[in-house]
Amino acid sequence: MLTPLPSSKWDYDAAGHLLVRAGFGGSIAEIQDLTNRGMQQSLEKLLNSVPAASIPPTWAYANSLRDLLDQIRSSTTPEEKVKARQAFNKANQGQMADLIQWWTQLMTDTNAPLLEKMTLFWHGHFATSATKVKPAYKMWLQNQTLRAHALGNFGTLTKAVSRDPAMLVWLDLASSQKERPNENFARELMELFTLGEGNYTETDIKESAKAFTGYRINRIDQQFRFAANQFDSSIKVFMKKAGPWNGDQIINIILEQPQCARFVVTKIWRFFVYEDPDASLVDELATKFRQAHYEIKPLLRTIFSSEEFYSDRAKGAIIKSPVQYLVQARRSLGVYAPAGRVLANIYRQLGQVPFYPPNVKGWDGGKSWINTGTLTYRYQIARALINGIRPEQAGLPKFPAKTAASTRQEPQGQNAVASMPSNLDGTPGQAVTPFPPLTPPWPVEKYVNSEDRSDVQRLLEKLYTQTFQSRPQPDLLKNFVKVASNKPLPLDDGSIRDLVMLMMTTPNYQVS
Amino acid sequence: MSQEPDVVTRRDFLRTSVLGAALSWTVPLFIERTFSALDAEAAESSLPVATGKDHPILVVLQLAGGNDGLNAVVPYVDDAYYRARPTIGIAKDKVVNLNGHIGFNSALAPFKTLYDEGHLALLQGVGYPNPNRSHFRSTEIWQTASDPNKIVRTGWLGRYFDNCCSGEGATVGVALGGQLPQAFTSDNPTGITLSPGSRLGFAKETDASEQAVFNQLNGIDHDTVSGASIGELSGPNSSGMTAIEYLQRTALDAQIGTDKIAEILRRVKPEAIYPKTQLANSLSLISRLITGGLPTRVYYASQGGYDTHNAQENSHNRLLGELANAVSAFCQDLKSKGIFDQVMIITFSEFGRRVAENASKGTDHGTAAPMFISGGAIKPGIYGRPPSLEQLDAGDLIYNVDFRSVYATILNRWLKAPVSKVLGRDFNPLAFV
Repeated sequence: MLTPLPSSKWDYDAAGHLLVRAGFGGSIAEIQDLTNRGMQQSLEKLLNSVPAASIPPTWAYANSLRDLLDQIRSSTTPEEKVKARQAFNKANQGQMADLIQWWTQLMTDTNAPLLEKMTLFWHGHFATSATKVKPAYKMWLQNQTLRAHALGNFGTLTKAVSRDPAMLVWLDLASSQKERPNENFARELMELFTLGEGNYTETDIKESAKAFTGYRINRIDQQFRFAANQFDSSIKVFMKKAGPWNGDQIINIILEQPQCARFVVTKIWRFFVYEDPDASLVDELATKFRQAHYEIKPLLRTIFSSEEFYSDRAKGAIIKSPVQYLVQARRSLGVYAPAGRVLANIYRQLGQVPFYPPNVKGWDGGKSWINTGTLTYRYQIARALINGIRPEQAGLPKFPAKTAASTRQEPQGQNAVASMPSNLDGTPGQAVTPFPPLTPPWPVEKYVNSEDRSDVQRLLEKLYTQTFQSRPQPDLLKNFVKVASNKPLPLDDGSIRDLVMLMMTTPNYQVS
Repeated sequence: MSQEPDVVTRRDFLRTSVLGAALSWTVPLFIERTFSALDAEAAESSLPVATGKDHPILVVLQLAGGNDGLNAVVPYVDDAYYRARPTIGIAKDKVVNLNGHIGFNSALAPFKTLYDEGHLALLQGVGYPNPNRSHFRSTEIWQTASDPNKIVRTGWLGRYFDNCCSGEGATVGVALGGQLPQAFTSDNPTGITLSPGSRLGFAKETDASEQAVFNQLNGIDHDTVSGASIGELSGPNSSGMTAIEYLQRTALDAQIGTDKIAEILRRVKPEAIYPKTQLANSLSLISRLITGGLPTRVYYASQGGYDTHNAQENSHNRLLGELANAVSAFCQDLKSKGIFDQVMIITFSEFGRRVAENASKGTDHGTAAPMFISGGAIKPGIYGRPPSLEQLDAGDLIYNVDFRSVYATILNRWLKAPVSKVLGRDFNPLAFV
């Protein structure tokens, strides 16, 4: 049984934990504000904040994409076509870099962090990659769809995703034919989006594939279009129920399965709390979720107000995703994040590029975030964020850096193990793209006053609280005090930056 | 950090004799110390230190997404093939004949050359009972070598590392790509991951106490490892690591492993014969690491894009061409360096594809498929039977070679490892080694 956290246990650390997990962390002042509000009010604020209107990227309208595609279509010679396609790819690369930055900015600036965090969760759940979808406009549209339903209703969201143009391309629904329909979407709908492997039959896949026919994309406005003449209206037997089912009806039948709620609840718990929830806990939440007709907010309210969410088992159990790592560093420490392709490249080296999940299963997360390559890069980027990013630290390959040659080589399958262009080479002295100056160093004076500089203990408690989003653990803190004690007082900017950097290159900083 | 004079002496010895002068100006001081000290402990221990020159090496290429075996190795004399695939079947004149019954898709022509030279084995109809058609579950089955109805946490290569390579350090397995493959998962995490474009090694620390705290918090504190050899660090006793323990372990591996790799890559330059593809890049890099003497038993690289549900003709042929050209260049490179006999390259994919094409001129998830094995010391030939196109299981091919007997062959005859310890039981070996 999940019990609510008693109000006596609500303190600064609990508030920090909530803001990190249900959002992307924050300043000492923000966490203090939540501490003062109490848990209920803090939670309602997170659940119900209405985001400020965001400005879409300049190219995010249907005509912009249509113009580019028209140029390809209207080419008369093969050479013209190649040129038009190259022009499209080039423009699209820039737009994808814009899009990655646009969303990162939104996560950083938003006053509704839980909405963004949930949008990120659904992006990993209905994982769709631009490697196959291509146009940034479609990826932007999908992001809008996920955002619109992120805290709404799971059934409604799933139906919306089944009509989402990027998804229609990604899992080949847009090209599925009435005769011998394509099974790609039907399979992943059940395996990855709703039920989990082993909870349906191959016949269920074949039958439901017939129901998801007639799904097309309108070339003019890039929206979903139902082509009735391509719809297979025959009787399908799906999960032992016979009827002339259409796609929405298939999703309804899936939602009736208790397993669907268990599957979704488990995934949400793993994302927000810890990896291996007990079966009884999952059942309890799943029952509630189904009784609430798959409304997402009540489920999150139950999770975030439970004592289990604030337990020792939960604290420190989650390895931060690269997006969390970067956005949280920005929101909590106030480091400057770079923009454009540099940002995309940093994401790539950290192992997670928004809009480019490695396959339809999304990011595995957990310990999979960390290997010798990504951990090394985390430590390097910590240094770069604190000292300011010089071009050579920002990265080697351009992103998305598709030359004419690599465009041809690009894999099409959504299950491609992330197929970003690479120029892996550890040799020094290789060409580094001359990026413009990137970010300034961390502004020490904004957070540290002259008294702090002369009082090591006080300074480090402050830096620790800001960096780790909790009050200091004495055992960990004393290590940093030891380092600082060797430095001349008052501590200068360089020494203070070194200390924050050192905190960021601990295993403890990689988890939340 | 330990400062006994004898340790310093060994460090100095290693720095000059084993690693060369390059290390002293490129590697940050504190990392060099850690590395050298640990390396000295390894050198001192009685365990044989493997080098890239004297043991068999396995290179695993994953064709991610489900390679369409029937359009790669084409049963072009079988009418049933063209009936099932009226639009995407590979035309007879686009097939390179192998034995009068089957032939390579012409995109795989370089494989025919390898085959003629006696350096390629083709395994037909490889799969497993009760095939699973989920990418993820079937990949997991291949990676963990489990029975299809059992969930096994560790990978088959991870178990090989655990059982047969203790004492060899993290570089025993090297994966090219963003993530460590599940096949490497072991009770004790092992393996180095090189991400595309990654920079190797940690950044420089200058302050001595800062180094010490960094080392301590990342599990590299000498107080905790002093007296322990690297072999003991890789002992199979840390299953169920917490996130923090896992991070510490990875930090340690990264410090030791990637510095060795960086040193080799500075010294050994790439050959010009490789095509400009990601897979070829990976193989070129692997060649350099082998040449440089990295003590790695298994390299792992991946080529994605095989999930061809839709309009597959061009994309599938392109993928096969990339694969064959990259492998061909790799073999040529190894041959010219005189180390081809030491290396075996295998390909696998989580499944083949449905026999009949779908209406989108593509193919859906299927079952059995061929594997390609190449190397200087393999026994060339065609193994297994071509699966029947008439007798199908729910529209899919029926396997006749269990993939675990392929693994068993590799473990037993190539890597000289005890099969039942790694795979849980014995499987009949094939004759390709």
